[in-house]
Amino acid sequence: MSVRALWVFSHERGDGGGGGGGGGAGGTVCFSRRFPTVERRAKALAGALYVAVPEDGAVLQPLLTELGLSDGDKAFVLSRDDCARPQRSPALELRVQGRDRGVLWPVLALVQGGLILACLVLVEAPPEPRPPLPSLASVSQGLSLLAGLQAFLCGTGAKPDGEALASKLALLPSVLLQICPLGTPLDAPQAGSVAAPGPSGSQKQPAWKPGPHRGRAVASVSLSETVRSMQYGKPSRQDLWDVFGTVNCKCEVEGVLPNVMVTLTLPPNGSPLQDILVHPCVTSLDSSLLMASSVDDGDGSSFSGPYKFPFSPPLEPFRLCSYTSQVPVPPILGSYQLKEEENQLRVTATLKLHESVRNSFEYCEAHLPFFNRGHVNNVDVKVSCGQLEVSREKSLLVWVLGQKFPKSREVTLNGTVNFSELSSGPRDPLCTGLTAYIKPENWCLPSTTSGTLLAKPPSPLRSWCCRGTAAVAQQNWVVLEVAPPAVGRTEQHGKRRAIA
Amino acid sequence: MASTNASSWPRRISSFTSSPSQFLSGTTADSFLDQVLHELRDDRISESTKVLLLTPFLEHPTILCPFPAVGEETAVELLAIFCQVPHKSLQLRCQLLVAITSVLVCTSCVSSEVEVAVGFLDLLYQTIQDTNDHKNGQQFYYLRLTACDCLREIETCYPGLLSQKLEALYLLKQQETTPLHQAYSLLYTLALKNAIRLLSLQKGGADDDLKRVLAGNEGFAWKAVETPLPPYPVSSTGQISVVQTSTDNKELKSIVSLLLEESYLLTPLSQATLLRELIEVVAMVQALSPAIFKSQLVRLIGTVEITLLHATLLMKSTFTDSLFTTEDENFFIKRLVSMAQHPLLSVQQKLFYMDCILHFPENRPISSNGEESLPVLVTPHLAASLLPTVFNDSRTMLCRLSLLSLVYLEADENDDKGVGYLFSHLMALHRIVENHGTREMTVTYFKSVFTFLTYFYHNEKFTDDLTKSISELYSKHCYLAPNVINLIDRIQEHLEDPKWSIRLLQALQKLIVELPLVQMNIQNLGWHLKILGRVSQESQVSQGKTLCFLLSVLINTSLCTTGDWKMGSVVLVVCRNLLQHPSLHRVFTELADLLQYIMQHYNDVDIQDHARFYYTLLTNLSREKLSGVLTKGPNVEQTKVRSLSSLMAESEGLSNCLTVQETTGTVLKLTKVHNTNVHRVSQQTDSEGHEGEDVLTFYRKQFSSPGFSSKVILEYHLTYAGDVDVTFDKLFSICLHFDLTDSNYEQVSDISVPCLFRNRKPPVVRVTLQPRQPYPSTLCASAMFTTDDGLSWHTQLEDIPVCFSDVFLPLPVPVGWSQEKREKLFDHLWSSMCEEEPGQSATSLFCFEIGNQELPALIESNFSAYLISQEPEKQSYKVMFFLPPQFHVLLTIANAEDAVQVRIATDNWDFLPFINTYLKSVAPQTPRS
Repeated sequence: MSVRALWVFSHERGDGGGGGGGGGAGGTVCFSRRFPTVERRAKALAGALYVAVPEDGAVLQPLLTELGLSDGDKAFVLSRDDCARPQRSPALELRVQGRDRGVLWPVLALVQGGLILACLVLVEAPPEPRPPLPSLASVSQGLSLLAGLQAFLCGTGAKPDGEALASKLALLPSVLLQICPLGTPLDAPQAGSVAAPGPSGSQKQPAWKPGPHRGRAVASVSLSETVRSMQYGKPSRQDLWDVFGTVNCKCEVEGVLPNVMVTLTLPPNGSPLQDILVHPCVTSLDSSLLMASSVDDGDGSSFSGPYKFPFSPPLEPFRLCSYTSQVPVPPILGSYQLKEEENQLRVTATLKLHESVRNSFEYCEAHLPFFNRGHVNNVDVKVSCGQLEVSREKSLLVWVLGQKFPKSREVTLNGTVNFSELSSGPRDPLCTGLTAYIKPENWCLPSTTSGTLLAKPPSPLRSWCCRGTAAVAQQNWVVLEVAPPAVGRTEQHGKRRAIA
Repeated sequence: MASTNASSWPRRISSFTSSPSQFLSGTTADSFLDQVLHELRDDRISESTKVLLLTPFLEHPTILCPFPAVGEETAVELLAIFCQVPHKSLQLRCQLLVAITSVLVCTSCVSSEVEVAVGFLDLLYQTIQDTNDHKNGQQFYYLRLTACDCLREIETCYPGLLSQKLEALYLLKQQETTPLHQAYSLLYTLALKNAIRLLSLQKGGADDDLKRVLAGNEGFAWKAVETPLPPYPVSSTGQISVVQTSTDNKELKSIVSLLLEESYLLTPLSQATLLRELIEVVAMVQALSPAIFKSQLVRLIGTVEITLLHATLLMKSTFTDSLFTTEDENFFIKRLVSMAQHPLLSVQQKLFYMDCILHFPENRPISSNGEESLPVLVTPHLAASLLPTVFNDSRTMLCRLSLLSLVYLEADENDDKGVGYLFSHLMALHRIVENHGTREMTVTYFKSVFTFLTYFYHNEKFTDDLTKSISELYSKHCYLAPNVINLIDRIQEHLEDPKWSIRLLQALQKLIVELPLVQMNIQNLGWHLKILGRVSQESQVSQGKTLCFLLSVLINTSLCTTGDWKMGSVVLVVCRNLLQHPSLHRVFTELADLLQYIMQHYNDVDIQDHARFYYTLLTNLSREKLSGVLTKGPNVEQTKVRSLSSLMAESEGLSNCLTVQETTGTVLKLTKVHNTNVHRVSQQTDSEGHEGEDVLTFYRKQFSSPGFSSKVILEYHLTYAGDVDVTFDKLFSICLHFDLTDSNYEQVSDISVPCLFRNRKPPVVRVTLQPRQPYPSTLCASAMFTTDDGLSWHTQLEDIPVCFSDVFLPLPVPVGWSQEKREKLFDHLWSSMCEEEPGQSATSLFCFEIGNQELPALIESNFSAYLISQEPEKQSYKVMFFLPPQFHVLLTIANAEDAVQVRIATDNWDFLPFINTYLKSVAPQTPRS
């Protein structure tokens, strides 16, 4: 249950578009930490098959190779691209060359932005035959540690900016001294600053909460939901869509271990929630709540609420639960058509809001990104409702629909777009040729929904169309009840609020 | 010793931690350790710098303290520093605890015999006594946290050390109410587990023993250090020894229940650790029922935390049906499947869950060999949600593909709807690659095809389509030739039945030979020829069409005039493969025509020659002889023929003959030749100098001639490294290559050794070093050689250490110089070093006791080549080492009453640590100062 070494590398990725081109990829070591006492245990456990952790420089290259990031300028490199090389487990196998030659396993790695976070975990079993990954407790600990480290270094953004990253990296040694001084982690790094613990009381303070909250009791709950859909616009092919959502909370309630309960109820005919995952602060769960699963048939007896989540909140905002759901129709039906005409694209798009969806939003817009072409140059597009904004650098059209769809619940866009041939715009591996997508985003009260839609061309036709949509799937079904804590003064009440 | 500027420490520490070997090429571990400790004792240094200074102990304690004795001394020093640090320097104090733990554990100093270890453990134990910071106040909070973790690590490394303190630890855990109770709980649980494990390995009834252990409140069990516990068997196949208890142990049961109940208060990572220890405890004590975990299960399975779900899975694999009913099992696997595709979990997490599905510990497993197998419960219906899509990242896609392949392989054979879906997925990938997908996508496509084929190669309906689609893809993007060839090679290795790959090769051959020549450009042709070269290796494919195509390309395009050697050799590879082809008789004339055409028209003379050679072989040798000449095999007699004829063969030929192969282990080593010190002077001047000239001026003038005495020659025997394979009994044309690990020396040139035979005297290798800074260093050596079967090999040698004393040279003065002159020079140099302003030069003193060995003998064996003068009756000696390019170490050695005094003068104070180490190694006993 320990980590032998931990690294943070930064790497510049060569632009590997098309069948070649782009530069090579290099990298630098931003941070590394070894745990020699764990190493000593690893040596004792592995015996003659022990492979020492090499110096940082010798780790980077095999790691890049294993992640497929090395030699970006070469189309085929056997050590990287061999088709028989299994590359499907979260654990990598690094073949270290040079002085500390050998195979390091299992190395866990996580790539985000220009950063690679990696750790080598301890195998608490004889190394031969290689034990199955799930039998090693260290693996999930390593993954959890890396995920925490990622949140700590990068925050919620995809790409950490230089200065913020440098200051976070400088903090890392002292963070590790607290949570993982000798290689066996007590906790994952926390994204926020860790407050000093308050004085002790008679009740045991949870380790994930430095002290009780003092002050007014406030609880906020927000809900966001995403619909992904592929719409073919052909009777022969069934449209596909799925829905998933999260409930985020911030609860400031007094007491060492206050009890709070959030209850979610479905509207009449609402689709039940499935694959529910809860935050570890949830104290108990009804097992029937976990039974509903998207991989099941839904045997009729499926649970349809109310969904009760009793918990004792941590101080920071957290994701109380996440779920998936299966709704009968997608909330927006769309069609999106591209046609190549001499040096320009003819674009036609229609979006239709389903009648079961309430036509009122805080705001609503649709994004039309273009990939693997130059930057957007000239846009000559008419819309039946709302207005169009063009972001040339991002090669993106934003169709701002305002707060509601027109009475017909249908909006259309058509016109032409052309691209400068000199510059190269954003790239995407799937949206080549005339493959593209439209992404409507809506914010609404009281529940929130956003959606994306992606489609692939059914056949190599010159033009193709797809319908796409996303919108409010479940309406009016968030009922929030914050029970006052069992211990505490009587005048406080949970404030009801729902944030969008 | 000069102190280092405080501001340079961050740089020095980071260069040490990133590469200790490189860092230590400029100094010794010994002196670095001294410097770090010196700085740590200095009150003027800031806390943050001191925290930084401790990093080397945290990361590489064994490099700084290579021996237990050094470890012990260092720990004493660090502990003394800890005692002096003011209480408010919290981070430094914590860091010190961690550093001392690392040093003690890693240098194996944790023992009752080592005073500092005993003292340190007492200190840790004392620190954690102050629960809730009642006595010392809150500033000790983090110190207690660190102390708990240090104790936990020591207990992990020496299981059982805390086994006699269970009651005391339990009380501490109960009293603590700050978040620190987590650290106490973990410490207690670990100690409990190890104590029970110790009991389980004892024989006989254990009821009383268990009671006694739980109520333990004694000192550290040092016995645990001497007899380490065998590791706990992790896999389900390993036999777990059990504590034989006859009665229900209520006390232990309530302890475990309480720990479980409070586990909710722990962070998920710690909860998982705690659960893992408790699983082992319950597994080891018969009286405890696994049902004790039941109340936690729903909570654990429901969370998003990977560690908690994993802990539950470990419970499942330990207790199987005594904790999980069939229904539970069914629910668990469904949960795993839905987690493996949950849109809100990270990719790594989902990959891990898929791994968990493939290794799911079933209550009634069909096979229990621990290999990947599909649980019976995973049906095609259940797994449908894991079907790969083009929106997956490549790892997920490949993982899903192989999981689903397993599912459909075991499903009903008549229904290939599922396989059909997987195939349509391959086709979707195909279209992306066709549309100029990224390199990653292309590689993923070929990996997917490989995976698909390994499972469904027997299903001709799909494999035929696959053949078609790959040749179609190739026709559009012939730069994919390396990927296609790689796929064919791997498929042939993995499947016994080569049918599919033959069909693909035939299709590709057909495609290429039918291409209109107008479309052919040099680049495409290169790829096509690569494919045809691969095709010509297959005996089952007829080659007539290939030959016609080649001939027509040569005649009708400008290849003969514009093609280079590389292009020509690719054509010849095809020819060479055909010479060995079983149906050579059918294409005899065509091949002869082709070779003749090449030898007459190709623009490159070497290609012409080879074509001529092949032509001669073809027309003059019988089939048998031809294959005898060309067949590759380990037959030694064919060496000469092989190296000539297979020169042009690519792929197999290249990997066998042209490319250099890597040896699996070390084959060679260099061992130092002793007693050659005297002959190492590389250059001597003949001129005696003018009579009246000052010796020092003359001496210094010598260095104005370039390259004067700048090189050191080290002699080594090149020998075999232990018992190596018989293949390496005779080695030829050995080329030794040396890489520097630092910048202290000029590049070392390669050395050639004609041969090395096992039963002959080892050859002597002279390595010439030209120092820039004559510091100790390490050379990385590698060798290339040929074995007598004609193969070339590359091997890594063990690193060659270059010691400080290796670089010593005798005084570079003319041979004819008198004793008197030498002494005069010595005195001049000595006084100049003493007089000079404290710049580079330094003087020092080293004492050691002389043991049984007499001083003259010591001098004779170590310094004879460097002696300037000696007065044996007075027991006083003058010794001078010259170190290129122009450094000196002067010693006057005199035997005082009770010790030998070595006075040292040098013109480079950086040498002092090295001189110290050197003299220590020479001195017969431990020095006193």
